[in-house]
Amino acid sequence: MDEKLLGLVLLAVPLSLLSFGGGQTIVVGLGHQVVNVHHWLTGPQFADLFAISRAAPGPSTLILALIGWQLGGLTGAIMATLAIFVPSSLLLCLVGHWWQKRKGSAWAVAVERGLAPIAVGLIFGGAYVVAQSANLNLVGLATIAVATALLYFTRIGTYTLLGAVALVYLGLAFWQT
Amino acid sequence: MDKRVEDEVLLTSPPPVSLPALLTCFLKLGAASFGGGVSGWVHREIVERRQWLSEERFLETLTVAQVMPGANPVNLAVYVGMQLRGFAGATVAAIGMVAPAFCIILLLGAGYSLLSRYPEPRVVLVGLACVGIASTLAMGIKAARRLKGQIVPILIAATIFVTVGLLRWPMIPVVLVLTPVSVLATYWLGRKTNG
Repeated sequence: MDEKLLGLVLLAVPLSLLSFGGGQTIVVGLGHQVVNVHHWLTGPQFADLFAISRAAPGPSTLILALIGWQLGGLTGAIMATLAIFVPSSLLLCLVGHWWQKRKGSAWAVAVERGLAPIAVGLIFGGAYVVAQSANLNLVGLATIAVATALLYFTRIGTYTLLGAVALVYLGLAFWQT
Repeated sequence: MDKRVEDEVLLTSPPPVSLPALLTCFLKLGAASFGGGVSGWVHREIVERRQWLSEERFLETLTVAQVMPGANPVNLAVYVGMQLRGFAGATVAAIGMVAPAFCIILLLGAGYSLLSRYPEPRVVLVGLACVGIASTLAMGIKAARRLKGQIVPILIAATIFVTVGLLRWPMIPVVLVLTPVSVLATYWLGRKTNG
């Protein structure tokens, strides 16, 4: 493995364990290290990769795959992806394993039930934050309303719904231009 | 721990899910992660359709996945896989979740200069993001139904929504403070009603 790639992996491992709240927080620090400290990429290069990672599906920390690709092709992409996901996953496995063994006691049941309202608050809070940052117009809000109703009341398939909405929006894009 | 707890775990655990089934399921979920809303899709597939996890177990899993470091979709896959098939399940589910997004992001990286000249893909992505939000909302409404009539849990959920959602307070400290409150309240109320 070449030196840059090793450097990227060593940079990603601790960031993985610090990526609280999904990882958007670490992307800024990552950019600083990659551009200003190590000079692996230029500022505009990093900005481009950031834009791609925002447009792509999946977690924002997958930007590591793109940086890895720039530094070392497919091997680089795979190494960087493993470096950002494996440490946090391993930690979660260890904590989860420890917790699973304690299931069944009155306290564990209370924890399971007590986490439900926390989850509900986070679900709606997260949906609000995403909707706000997306700067939606009326069409967007209508899409959310219709799709929510379909998902709540029917057993419509994931891909049917995603495909239909993609087609409608593609139609809208061509109609407007 | 002791034998009794182990027996109980065996009795209450769902029938084992095969690793290939787990992999295909999470590959599909990973591919659906365009526009976000992954947790909503996971809920729909794992809890509603396949009934691999109970609603309560899923909500616990979701909270743990959000609080622990790591990307939420990956954490969710790891923890769901872990509960269904241990470490092998966690590995398989995480690979399934990441592989589609990994391939797509590299393709986008290769075709980015070409794509950025056309506005259409961006418009379609906005539409897909709306469906992602809808999948989150549908899951939220279903989860919220469980709190019906319980005043303390509803207040706790509302506090989280206002502080983390509307006011953008950092999630981790808020969750770390309110989780013990919620657990204690559940424990105490449970004892009261059960006598």
